[in-house]
Amino acid sequence: MAKRTYGSHFFDVLKSLFFGRRTATLSIFEEEQVQSPYRTMLRNFRQNWSAMLGLYVFFAIFLAVFILPLFFPLDLQFQDPTQKNTKPTLSYMKYAKEISGNVVSIDQGSVYGLGVGSDGVIRQWGTLTPKLQNLPQINAKVIQVSAGLDHALALDENGKVYTWGNDRFMLSNIPPQVQSSRVKQVLAGHQISLALTEDGRIFFWGNTNLINIPIPEERQGSFSKISANTTLAVALTTQGEAVTLSSRETPFSYIPQEIQGSIVDVAITERSAAAVTDDGVIHVWGGDDYGVQQVPSLAQGNAIAVSAGRGHFTALLSDGSVVSWGRNNYKQSKAPKLNNIVGITSSYFQNYAIDADGKIHSWGLKGYLMGTDQYGRDLLTRLLSGGRVTLTIGAIAVIISAFIGIILGAFSGYYGGKPDMLIMRIAEVVNAIPFLPLAMILSAIIGSRISETGRISMIMVILGLLSWPPLARLVRGQMLAAREQEFVTAAKAMGITELKIIFKHILPNVITVILVNLTLSFALCMLYESSLSYLGFGVNEPNATWGNMLYGCNDSTVMANYAWRWIFPAIALSLATVSINMVGDGMRDAIDPKTNDR
Amino acid sequence: MLKYVLRRLLYIVVVFLIASVLLFTLYKSVPGDPARMMLEGSKTSMKPEEYEARYQDAVKKLGLDKPIVVQYFTWLLNTLKGDFGYSLTYKMPVRQMIGVPMKNTIMLNVWSLIPVFAITIPLGIATAVRRNTKFDSTVQVVTIIGYSLPFFVIALLFIFLFAVKLPIFPISGVQTPALRGTPMRMFFDKMYHMALPLLVMVFTSLGGLTRYVRATMIEALSMDYIRTARAKGLNEKVVIYSHAFRNALIPFITIMTGWFISIFSGSVVIERTFLWNGMGKVIIDALNQQDFAVSLAMVMFYLVLSLIGNLLMDLSYGFADPRVKLD
Repeated sequence: MAKRTYGSHFFDVLKSLFFGRRTATLSIFEEEQVQSPYRTMLRNFRQNWSAMLGLYVFFAIFLAVFILPLFFPLDLQFQDPTQKNTKPTLSYMKYAKEISGNVVSIDQGSVYGLGVGSDGVIRQWGTLTPKLQNLPQINAKVIQVSAGLDHALALDENGKVYTWGNDRFMLSNIPPQVQSSRVKQVLAGHQISLALTEDGRIFFWGNTNLINIPIPEERQGSFSKISANTTLAVALTTQGEAVTLSSRETPFSYIPQEIQGSIVDVAITERSAAAVTDDGVIHVWGGDDYGVQQVPSLAQGNAIAVSAGRGHFTALLSDGSVVSWGRNNYKQSKAPKLNNIVGITSSYFQNYAIDADGKIHSWGLKGYLMGTDQYGRDLLTRLLSGGRVTLTIGAIAVIISAFIGIILGAFSGYYGGKPDMLIMRIAEVVNAIPFLPLAMILSAIIGSRISETGRISMIMVILGLLSWPPLARLVRGQMLAAREQEFVTAAKAMGITELKIIFKHILPNVITVILVNLTLSFALCMLYESSLSYLGFGVNEPNATWGNMLYGCNDSTVMANYAWRWIFPAIALSLATVSINMVGDGMRDAIDPKTNDR
Repeated sequence: MLKYVLRRLLYIVVVFLIASVLLFTLYKSVPGDPARMMLEGSKTSMKPEEYEARYQDAVKKLGLDKPIVVQYFTWLLNTLKGDFGYSLTYKMPVRQMIGVPMKNTIMLNVWSLIPVFAITIPLGIATAVRRNTKFDSTVQVVTIIGYSLPFFVIALLFIFLFAVKLPIFPISGVQTPALRGTPMRMFFDKMYHMALPLLVMVFTSLGGLTRYVRATMIEALSMDYIRTARAKGLNEKVVIYSHAFRNALIPFITIMTGWFISIFSGSVVIERTFLWNGMGKVIIDALNQQDFAVSLAMVMFYLVLSLIGNLLMDLSYGFADPRVKLD
């Protein structure tokens, strides 16, 4: 037997497609004579620039959606209303250059930052609403700023309070008592503003229907610091006691009694509170989400101040270094090694640390490369994980349909007669019913009774079960032509079993045509899956696919104001299907001898 | 010929029966009690005994007390008579409910036919004749992109461009709500609302159809009679338009049948995106409201439509191409 020529085997072709081909100098006669059909196909394919481009693009998408989710894992349960519909930017912590080196006060709002330098002028960065950009006229030097969800507060050197940004819920109406007294601390919360006066009284205004902060009258006059989250506030008194300001009993109320009287600083996240006592020990109470109760041991005994974001704490230690712990989904508790720090500010998912020279160090969420959706979820991670789901569903649906189509088509074409008739009639019925309506009905009827994972498998099976007829017909046609050829007769004469003839002798001869069909129907299955999900009958929330990320995006508000929510998934889906179709088309041209003008 | 048609009709009946059994089983396996759903709105306003009596009435009226085989045959007979059941959401017979959406869908589809054929046929011929030129490969790539892009992506893009960025057309809907005026004004209002979905439908159909025309035309141009025609010195125009194109039209019949079906069925995706009150939207709404009688009736309707369409296609092949023998 002759030595196997390189390129004569299908897998050699695949290998050389991606890893380049072995270069061997052949004389012109050899080249003409020794070239196997696969090799001719490969050459044709490689000369087709659009097919090669499609191959590279698809390969890039494939790698991206299967490897990148390992680095950007999708947390299906994650939602954050404060981060909803934010536009693509990475500027949340790009603080103004002017305040670096002389910063007096700095704070982070939901999607923007706010700072003031020694010149007393307010600087803002990040995603600013038009109302936020409209800064108030301030003649005195500003000494403190606070950023909330979508409004901000500033305090000038005369103790006067200013507010700008969102002006609904009476946020712009600063109470007269605040106007008339010297204010020590301002705090902009979630649709609410708080002010602490020099004489230790707390005032609040804003959306009091949403958040009510009852302040015990007997304590008024003794407060020295306040910290707030989206539901309540905790205040510190001059006697070193923490007071929970809430009308309901919450986990925040269970302040450890032994620390009352010795607290020097307090901060609260959404679910838990932390206090630093005068011996430098940090006590955390409330919930234990994201491991906030596991205070790093090097902080215990050394802490002098603590600050909190939505789910993490940062503590300033007596040696001037900082330590963060708690929630780390946006790397907000991955504090860098710093020293000489004198002040810390944490808020939402960001931290700022100010050193003795007034320089700013920051860590946490920089922003979203592709923006966020209506639940505040990062679109990039959803896009990557969604791509993985979309590609997997498409691939498995194609495998199912290939399995059914090849087997039924092969038997039907090889045996003919009654089985052929029966199979082809079934294929016709399946093909006759419009695809999307039937798939929608199946999904609506079956899908209401199974889990979300079951639903994904169901979509694969439905797509596979409904898309086999064209392939079966193709295989049947190829079989009909092949079964009359000499090599089949020879195989029969040698007494080879029919199964072996079908799958070992005939099928390899038609595999290229089948592969082209499978490639094209892979794109089609992806399209069907995303159409189903787009219509709400495919994969549902919270799972992401490229189709269901577009669900509800035909809304005029989304269209006009949140374009990033549909543009990125649409681009990803289009790129994937176009590139697969280009590859399939190139393959078809490559194997079709008619287009081979030699 | 007659024998062939009869045999095909018989086959249609058999397929219809098989499909109807499958769909009916599917329909019956839906969780929920249609009789209770029928009374859903009036539940609170009635006394328990009255409700029970009404419930029994509804069960009887819907025939739910009979064995499932009887139910199947009653349903089948009714469907054949044109009584497609009772829509639970619209509280009216399906047949009556479907009138307006059907009209909307047919209008949208018929209007989209004209520009689609006016563009794709000349373009397909041109690319086939200038095969393997730069023009051809450009059109090939553009059409691949055209037919690979999901309908809804194109629809969203067009809404974004022509309804949001340049507010020329309305974003969605069939007509301006509560508009009263002369029939002329109503017509123009409808056309104005139809423009954007129409544009999208035309755009999405271009890619596939152009490629199809090109393929059939290339096939026709490679025939021996074309070589003969050229050999005897015929004008190239005559060769292309008279000899090749007429023969290339034969496979076109397949496409025409597809169109025939889609004229009635409507594109689910486009109608959903533009909130166009057509057949596709009726299916979605019915499924969302758990109104399975409507969706079942629709699928049966599509099935019959496509079976008849297939028969017509085969018959017209026989008429158009003397080489095709029907037996």
